[in-house]
Amino acid sequence: MLESVRVSISEEIHSAEARRQALLLAQHLGFGRTDAYYLATAVTELATNLFRHAGGGEIQLRTLTRQNAVGIEVIAHDTGPGIANVEQALREGFSTSGGLGCGLPGVRRLMDELEICSEMGRGTRIRACKWAAIIQTVERQC
Amino acid sequence: MTEAVDFNVARWLEAQQEAVLDAWMSDIVSRWKKNYLHVVDTEHLHLQSRQLLEEIRKLFVENPNEFWEPTPDSKIVVLIRSLSTQRAKQGFKPADSTFYVLSLKRVLWRRLLQDRIAENKVALATCLAMIENVIDRLTLLIYEVYVETRERLIAQQSLSLLELSTPVVRLWDRVLMVPLIGVMDTQRARQTTERLLEAIAKYEATVAILDVTGVPVLDTSVAGHIMKTIAAAQMLGARVVMTGISPDGAQTLVKLGVDFSVVTTRATLRAGVAESLLLVGKRIVAVKDAP
Repeated sequence: MLESVRVSISEEIHSAEARRQALLLAQHLGFGRTDAYYLATAVTELATNLFRHAGGGEIQLRTLTRQNAVGIEVIAHDTGPGIANVEQALREGFSTSGGLGCGLPGVRRLMDELEICSEMGRGTRIRACKWAAIIQTVERQC
Repeated sequence: MTEAVDFNVARWLEAQQEAVLDAWMSDIVSRWKKNYLHVVDTEHLHLQSRQLLEEIRKLFVENPNEFWEPTPDSKIVVLIRSLSTQRAKQGFKPADSTFYVLSLKRVLWRRLLQDRIAENKVALATCLAMIENVIDRLTLLIYEVYVETRERLIAQQSLSLLELSTPVVRLWDRVLMVPLIGVMDTQRARQTTERLLEAIAKYEATVAILDVTGVPVLDTSVAGHIMKTIAAAQMLGARVVMTGISPDGAQTLVKLGVDFSVVTTRATLRAGVAESLLLVGKRIVAVKDAP
């Protein structure tokens, strides 16, 4: 863990700042262009969700190292209403806000790891990782 | 004892005015000359500061005992407001801007401590408290005005950006082009849709090219906005040709599961222009006897 960046999200425009920080970090770690684009898009999705569903929150970006791989961990944290049904939120085409319904399932495909912890009325914490070279795809839920 | 309690800050300041002003100005100028040499007009600064010092003295006359509260239209507040606004616009750092009055406090304190009054602790404390109260309130005011000025500047800039970045261009008869540049948030998307629909109606356009080369990231929110724009345009009888999706953007959209299959897309603006002209029965051909 070399670097850590926090971006607080309270307005729509803040997701652009989160995206910029993610791109900077990815470039710094030598991510490929496509992987960096995937990461940036996923971060934008998560940040937009924070703003849209939880009224704001925080995006935290951290550098990960594992044996010969480097990666970036994204944590989207909020104290909003929580996700009623995580299964459902991860399903294609499901949306409570009139969106396209492919945000979270999209993030799952763009990133290598995705973990969602949500408690009704307490908030949600989503942790997603992207490795510079994809080793294996791990999916967990708690 | 009685003569010390009678000590009058206002009268003391009047007698000290020139010396205070000199010490204050040399302190300020030495600090500001380093960073703001080109914007600091020493003569004007002297004039302004003398005025301010005079106002502070009047404050002490009017409020000899009680603590002063600034009222929004008092002369000193207006004075501080104008000079803080001016400095914020000139690009002063907030610390350097507040340093202006803090330096005056330092000068006044130093001179007070050297004065005969310093022997009487009660009178000295009263004087220091009076000076501190006024300077602290002025400091807060300077800071407040500084932030206000900068915030107004930022608000103006983002408004100008919004105006700059959503042009709808008439490319040919019945063909429009909308180059999307920068972050597409809800406000921008709404404005773009409005302008495009207006232009479609005005020019009776049947084709609109939506170029996304300048959009940094195509996520589901941007995609959703674009879909809505396209649906609205189609309702007015215009077809939308989308251009400028980068290879990375295309892969990401597929991963996200965004379905753009109902939209005509072309990789480059060039291909998009050709396609659009074709849709209105036009074609670009080489001029035979061109030089």
